[in-house]
Amino acid sequence: MLYDRIFAGAFLVLSGLIAWTAYHFNVPFQYEPLGPKAFPLILSGIAALCCVWLFIKPSQNTWHPTKEVWVKILSGLGIMVLYAALFEKAGFIISTTLVGTIFSWLFGEKLLKAFLYALVLSPISYFLLADLMQLNVPVGILFGE
Amino acid sequence: MDVFHYLALGFSVALTPLNLGLVLAGCFIGTLIGSLPGIGPINGVAILLPLAYSVGLPPESALILLAGVYYGAEYGGRISSILLNVPGDAGAIMTTLDGYPMAKRGEGGRALALSAVSSFFGSMGALLLMVIFAPLLSKLAIQFGPSEYVWLMIFAFTCLATMVGKRPIKTIVGVVIGLLLATVGIDSGTGILRFTMGIPNLFDGVDFLVVVIGMFAISEVLILLESWARNDLKLTPVGKSFVSFADLMAVKWVIFRSTISGFLIGVLPGTGASIASAVAYGTEKRFAEGKEEHFGQGDIRGLAAPEAANNASAAGSMVPMLTLGIPGSGTTAILLGALLMFNITPGPLLFEQQPNIAWGLIASMFIGNIALLVMNLPLIGLFVRLLSIKQSYLVPVIVMLTFVGIYSIHGDTFDLFFMIVLGVFAFILRKLGFSLAPVILGLVLGKVLEENLRRALSISGGDWFILFDGAITYVLAIATVLAIVLPKVMKLRKK
Repeated sequence: MLYDRIFAGAFLVLSGLIAWTAYHFNVPFQYEPLGPKAFPLILSGIAALCCVWLFIKPSQNTWHPTKEVWVKILSGLGIMVLYAALFEKAGFIISTTLVGTIFSWLFGEKLLKAFLYALVLSPISYFLLADLMQLNVPVGILFGE
Repeated sequence: MDVFHYLALGFSVALTPLNLGLVLAGCFIGTLIGSLPGIGPINGVAILLPLAYSVGLPPESALILLAGVYYGAEYGGRISSILLNVPGDAGAIMTTLDGYPMAKRGEGGRALALSAVSSFFGSMGALLLMVIFAPLLSKLAIQFGPSEYVWLMIFAFTCLATMVGKRPIKTIVGVVIGLLLATVGIDSGTGILRFTMGIPNLFDGVDFLVVVIGMFAISEVLILLESWARNDLKLTPVGKSFVSFADLMAVKWVIFRSTISGFLIGVLPGTGASIASAVAYGTEKRFAEGKEEHFGQGDIRGLAAPEAANNASAAGSMVPMLTLGIPGSGTTAILLGALLMFNITPGPLLFEQQPNIAWGLIASMFIGNIALLVMNLPLIGLFVRLLSIKQSYLVPVIVMLTFVGIYSIHGDTFDLFFMIVLGVFAFILRKLGFSLAPVILGLVLGKVLEENLRRALSISGGDWFILFDGAITYVLAIATVLAIVLPKVMKLRKK
């Protein structure tokens, strides 16, 4: 199965949904001829045409990920989701140390060295970002409140 | 003269301690980002944008910083091209062709120095052209009404579709995705909610920063993860660094021609540094035919041409962004989005109503280029050493900066998850051969396109023929048709 066909099919369904949603917008009043429906409708029409074209003339698959690559990408993704989940609750320093360690390790560093790097990186960055640049960086449970 | 008056004003803005510091910082960070393989100008600008926004910089300062990163990266891209044969960004691909053979011959220093000087003249030449043409273009653009703007955007998308990437259809899909993303949120005309799926965070529309960071930075991290392999890149020794007068004289016309073509290609909406450098390289190769040419084996003309052109196009792509509000490249699309976030709408009136922003930026680019020349001649050793920063140290910093940047905008974890979702989506798009620049261009221009279309039809009372009213609309319509037809004709002629 060619990826382009899968993509075209999925996007075709999506553009149908978009068109249906746009058509059923509840517009109580409108002072102009075009209104809020027309533009999304036109776009979904163009999208549908493109999808049909892409379905008929797809490109060859150029991406052949190995199992190892999948594991790497999915683990990277998992760590980012974890980072997002921990960021506010655990705070910047703890979550960055943890996530930084794993990322550094994924890119070939030895685990201990990766941990030491992340351990140094996160408090220094916290100081730079939160105190020096006055950014909104979450303190987290351990250090704040 | 008006121009000198405005330039003086611009320099008074650019020379304040804060802005001067930001130009230097931007240029330094840009060179660094450009020289690191894999992280191009567009990622650099994307990662720094939320930080610049959250720190609360005034709009002109934020723009000066981000623009510095942009053209700094066009300088930096050549370093890894020459020394590693790995282009730092797409605009530097052509630089590998003659730069790397020179480095292999032990002339790395000569190649680095000459390309730095070529970059400098390319940028400066393009800046002068910008000073002359930007005000003229903005005077012309004042006459543009909604119909003209609709055409201008269609023209921009057409250029993008026919000139970028292998499959025009995929570029169009990308633009449509961007345009659709822009329709999410409250409709400004009627106040109804569109495509928000009941999520309050989306009532204001999808946050531009979240989209940019998600699509560029997060997908880049995933790509780096995929392509990373345990191989130690071997740096070619730099050798003696010098610029000889004879070298300069040998390439002076090459630089001159490449600057002009690079600038023009930069001005064309949608086309950026990678096309500019490819065209310049091809032109010079044809010019040199018959006369002692060693293109591809370390000819200094083949090195000077793409470097002058990609820097000239960076300056050129600022012209339509500032005067028309239509970005000339993916990176300027992000800069445009940045300005919109600061409630500044670039367009013909920008030069008159907010000269401190337009001219402050131009003046800062003059200063930045001089700073970059200084950074890239004596300090080149520093950047070369930075090239060997390991990705295991770099990636955690990138991930950290993206998360802090996005979180600090609203202090809401929703944005972080949304960013990751968009990152995965962008990763899939990239793997399927879609380019991301069209998506960003569509996102940035979506609201403007819809508003102008609706305004045009309000004026005409629903008559679509208003799109063919007045000479300028015809010119733009013909230009659009040419943008579709010309590349096809050129392809046929090549065969």
